[in-house]
Amino acid sequence: MIPVESYLLLSAAVFCIGLFGILTRKNALIFLMSVELMLNAANINFVAFSLQHGNLTGQVFTLFTMALAAAEVAVGIGIVLVLYRNFSDVDVTIPTTMRW
Amino acid sequence: MVMVAALLAITLLGAGVVMLSPDRYAGKLAAAVSAVPALLSVYMYWAYLTQFEGTGNALLQPGDVAFGQQIPWIDFGGLTISYYVGLDGVSMPLLALTTILTTLAIVSAWTPIDERQSQFYGLMLFMETSLIGVFSALDFFLWFVFWEGVLIPMYFLIGVWGGPRRKYAAIKFFVYTNVASLVMFAGLFALVFSTDLTSLALPAMAEAFRSASGLPTVFGMNLLTLSFILMFFGFAVKVPVFPFHTWLPDAHVEAPTPVSVMLAGVLLKMGTYALLRFNFTMLPEVAQQLAVPLAIVGVVSVIYGAMLALAQRDLKRIVAYSSISSMGYVILGLVAFTPHGMGGATFQMIAHGLISGLMFMSVGVIYNVTHTRMVGDMSGLADKMPWTVGIFVSAAFGYMGLPLMAGFAAEFLIFQGAFDAATLGSAAPVLTAAAMFGIVIVAGYLLWAMQRTLFGAFNLETDYTVSEAPFHDVAPLAVLLLLVIVLGVNPDLSYEMIQNSILPVIDLGGGA
Amino acid sequence: MAAFTYAPAIVLLPFVSFLVALFLGDRMPKGGALAGIAATGGSLALSIWVALTVAGGGVYNEFVYTWVAGIESVTLRFGLLLDPLSALMLLIVTLISFLVHIFSLGYMNDEDETGLPRYYAGLGLFTASMLGFVVANNLLMAFMFFELVGLCSYLLIGFWFREDGPPSAAKKAFLVTRFGDYFFLIGVVGVVATFGTGLFAPITEGGEVVAQSFPVLAEHAVVDGETAGIAMLDTVGLGPQAWFTVLGLLVLGGVIGKSAQFPLHTWLPDAMEGPTPVSALIHAATMVAAGVYLVARMYGFYAISPTALAVIALVGGFTALFAATMGLVKQEIKQVLAYSTISQYGYMMLALGSGGYIAAVFHLTTHAVFKALLFLGAGSVIIAMHHNENMWDMGGLKDKMPVTYYAFLSGSLALAGILPFAGFWSKDEVLYEALIHGLGSEGGLATSYIVAYAMGLLAVFFTGFYTFRMVFLTFHGEPRTDTARDPHGVRWNVKGPLAVLGVLAATVGFINMKPVAELTGAHIDFLHAWLEGPEEGGWPAALVTDSHHYGELLHDVAGVSAGEPLGSIGTLLASAAVSLALAVAGAGLATTLYRGPDPVEHTDKLGSLKTLFMHNYYQDEYQVWLATGLTYPLARVMDKFDQGVVDGVVNGVSSVSLFSGQRIRRIQSGVVSNYATLLTLGLVLLLAAFGIIGGWF
Repeated sequence: MIPVESYLLLSAAVFCIGLFGILTRKNALIFLMSVELMLNAANINFVAFSLQHGNLTGQVFTLFTMALAAAEVAVGIGIVLVLYRNFSDVDVTIPTTMRW
Repeated sequence: MVMVAALLAITLLGAGVVMLSPDRYAGKLAAAVSAVPALLSVYMYWAYLTQFEGTGNALLQPGDVAFGQQIPWIDFGGLTISYYVGLDGVSMPLLALTTILTTLAIVSAWTPIDERQSQFYGLMLFMETSLIGVFSALDFFLWFVFWEGVLIPMYFLIGVWGGPRRKYAAIKFFVYTNVASLVMFAGLFALVFSTDLTSLALPAMAEAFRSASGLPTVFGMNLLTLSFILMFFGFAVKVPVFPFHTWLPDAHVEAPTPVSVMLAGVLLKMGTYALLRFNFTMLPEVAQQLAVPLAIVGVVSVIYGAMLALAQRDLKRIVAYSSISSMGYVILGLVAFTPHGMGGATFQMIAHGLISGLMFMSVGVIYNVTHTRMVGDMSGLADKMPWTVGIFVSAAFGYMGLPLMAGFAAEFLIFQGAFDAATLGSAAPVLTAAAMFGIVIVAGYLLWAMQRTLFGAFNLETDYTVSEAPFHDVAPLAVLLLLVIVLGVNPDLSYEMIQNSILPVIDLGGGA
Repeated sequence: MAAFTYAPAIVLLPFVSFLVALFLGDRMPKGGALAGIAATGGSLALSIWVALTVAGGGVYNEFVYTWVAGIESVTLRFGLLLDPLSALMLLIVTLISFLVHIFSLGYMNDEDETGLPRYYAGLGLFTASMLGFVVANNLLMAFMFFELVGLCSYLLIGFWFREDGPPSAAKKAFLVTRFGDYFFLIGVVGVVATFGTGLFAPITEGGEVVAQSFPVLAEHAVVDGETAGIAMLDTVGLGPQAWFTVLGLLVLGGVIGKSAQFPLHTWLPDAMEGPTPVSALIHAATMVAAGVYLVARMYGFYAISPTALAVIALVGGFTALFAATMGLVKQEIKQVLAYSTISQYGYMMLALGSGGYIAAVFHLTTHAVFKALLFLGAGSVIIAMHHNENMWDMGGLKDKMPVTYYAFLSGSLALAGILPFAGFWSKDEVLYEALIHGLGSEGGLATSYIVAYAMGLLAVFFTGFYTFRMVFLTFHGEPRTDTARDPHGVRWNVKGPLAVLGVLAATVGFINMKPVAELTGAHIDFLHAWLEGPEEGGWPAALVTDSHHYGELLHDVAGVSAGEPLGSIGTLLASAAVSLALAVAGAGLATTLYRGPDPVEHTDKLGSLKTLFMHNYYQDEYQVWLATGLTYPLARVMDKFDQGVVDGVVNGVSSVSLFSGQRIRRIQSGVVSNYATLLTLGLVLLLAAFGIIGGWF
């Protein structure tokens, strides 16, 4: 059986890729995709520990997370569309009206 | 007994109805609505006098409580919260004071309040609900809801109908007292969590705190002491006590007169009432250990407030600062732990409630006519409005502690109780004598203000015609003055029940 | 004792007249005066009845009303003490008040004053409060009515509130007496805390004492060492006599304020701004007497403290002289009378301090009569002079208003102390008591008495002088102004009271002609008998307020004893001769200086002393400075401190929050990537922190 550390390493790697995307990219769509990556990193952890503990709680949570991610994408795409309509761009650093 | 619930329901429903009524009728409607709890509480007072003779303290003998009602409400974390109300000799007079003063304040608002009337009167009634709740609740959770509930209408009443700097005053009042509540809450809950309480009923808390032992030491002092100090700070802001008093003059100056009446007459008493209920009933031993420093705080408040009143030119500021002075006497009386000291302090809450309400109302009536409150701006009003001025002079003498008026009875009893208080030891006569000097200063500034404004040749630069105020402005003054005199001639109308409820607290302190 | 059943009505009748005048006075003829006259007349009749009953040996000391019923603590009650002292005082107060009400018809109603209901309401309330004070059987009740008479004094001095002077004078009167009352209040609280009672005399039931009085308890503590029940002594850490002296001196503060003794005398001359009948009633005959009466009322308490006695005697003697010098140079007739009043109350204090209890009560009685007379006489003159009070504008009024003149002369002779008018007998007895006790006592007490006596004696000369200066300037010589040539007439309601008092001023001294009694051996010193009571049993045994007992206390405890170097009759006559000679000398000097048709002001020869007298030794200045030059600026500084520092800290806290909020919100840049960076940084920091705390590294 593959030790749980391997899953954790995988999950950490996926998480870091997502984090890197968020910190370096300006495109809103890339942002969304990076967030998805981070969520999936969490999902990998859930499933891995579900296997480790031998119960289904983690898998149930994964299902929740997936539903949540789907909802998030729906809202996120909507925001991206509005963003594009107002600023003619999907660069997240341009719209800074919501500041002090 | 559902009397208290009825009071709460009538005022709350009334507040809603008045809020929705047209402005034209709002004042009269509110007066009518508030007359119901006023009359009801007078009936309750009478019933208390005749039927509940010798009823004990609500926190220490919960079985003896009058008009009590307890309904379980919420359970969480092993703590039971209930709708638990009841009255004893301390809260009964305060409740009557609240309802009567609210009605009179509403009537006195008819002249000065000319915009958003329905909201104004609605908020006044809502405040009355909360005040009734504060004085009758016997469960901490319920009590705290009402305690904080008073702030909301007060904030709007100052902030919407107030003077030029109303926003500053309202925010200062709200934030200051709210921070104080937070500190008090922290102090109290530190104790709640370190004792094995199962209920937030005040009697249960009193029982648990008194028997608490083996409590941790925090910041080099026993948790009981620390909690006492935190709670004292929380309530002292409300009283207010030097040096936490600065919100009061601002609030009074900006608040419209009827609101000032409520603020000075009832809201300040919440602080001393809570001090009595929490600090002095639940932690009597700490209170006795700290008696001397607390008495010094009280004495300083007396002299400091009076001296500041001497420096003011605004009549309302004068009365505001003198309230600080008068409430200092209450602190002195409470720490004495003698029957006349604590009883006198409680009686002073009533007496000062009536007299300061009367003073503010008289200043308001004069302001309605002259549109100024500055001492230098007017003179010789006695010529133009003899009845108002007559009552103003009487009220001022009441404030100075003229015998056969309620203020003298209260102050004398406090002095008598504090003069040989065992808790203060050999400092007692000195501290009491120092506090008494307040009666000289109070005479100084009130006589000075009266001479400048009321007497001499009439002079006021104004386009208004200055004449006697309308009947509905003077009538509440007359009623209050009558009450002040009745209580001054026969203090036992309140003092007997107060003593009966105070004695168990004093017995806790070893009888002194 | 039926009279005692109705005794509360003595107090209540004037109170009813107060209510009637206040609320119905507008609708009544004479603005409520008739209600006042009826009420005080009724009180006078009842007082006479009470006095007759007391003369028959009856006394009364009962509680009538429980003010505060203490549970497990002291109960505070109102009660009536009717003994010879209070019966005498009741007579004085009701008589003078009755006459003043009648006089007011002439002084106020006939002059078409407005606000008459207010005036008569004030008089009614004053009379009621004063009578309440007189009959009070305990210290607290006495204090309460003591304060109430102060209120009435304030209201009546400020009666003409539309002018600037009266409200200011009223304020000063209340404030200065309040300052004295502050000490009195401490004294009251202290006495009640110490003894658990403020009773002046024990209450007995069937011969058994049911409630002991504080003077008797104090006596037991000092004489018999019964200090067991007095916890206060441990609290303050003083011996009984020292602590009782402190208490006595505290109460004395109120006395000094109310009886206008140095240094709290400054309000009384200003109080002359009030209507003259008010000056006669309140600021001459009754309210000012309240202080002296109070000392007499609780004399048993002072009699055990030599220190307090010496202080009282010195204050009294000094005030007598001090005020008399100021009276020498005044130009307004009422001012002369005001300083004379202060001076005369000094004599009473001197008598009380030097063990002359009866002399003090005697002088209180005669002074009430002749000073009320002088003030009412002055009032009559003021009516005639169209409210001009300056004596230099008068002159020659003798022929125009003979009734006033002869009555005034009777009062003046009494005031100056000329045989056989009332003042002679009483002032002589005062000085005699001070002298013999000064000669007979030992140590500091004797010195104080002799010093006080010397001052009192010197004041006799001045009294004679200023009195007759006043008489000659007012009534004799040629009229100096048109008003004086054609004075306003006065009616029966002015002349009547003057005539009654004029006769009394000449005769009231006969109630206690001690020198004659000693010479002839006849028992005509009625006041002695009145205040001493029967030898055995009777009221002294029950109340312990008799002068005989006071004499014993003075002698045994305070060490006040009499020394008579010329034998008892010789000393008495020598003392009388000296004081009479001085009085005559003073009066004679005034006569020679001011008798002519056009007198000139001779007091100018006093030079800078006159300036000092005219400015009242700058006493007013320093007291005004205390208020406006010291206290008020201090209050301003405290206000600055409050606004700047105390409120500054509060506002500072809010400023700090606002300022830091303004800075910190810059983080909110609006750029999503920055937020993400911050989030990540936060996560890393949190992990690092957990790591360090959890010991992962």
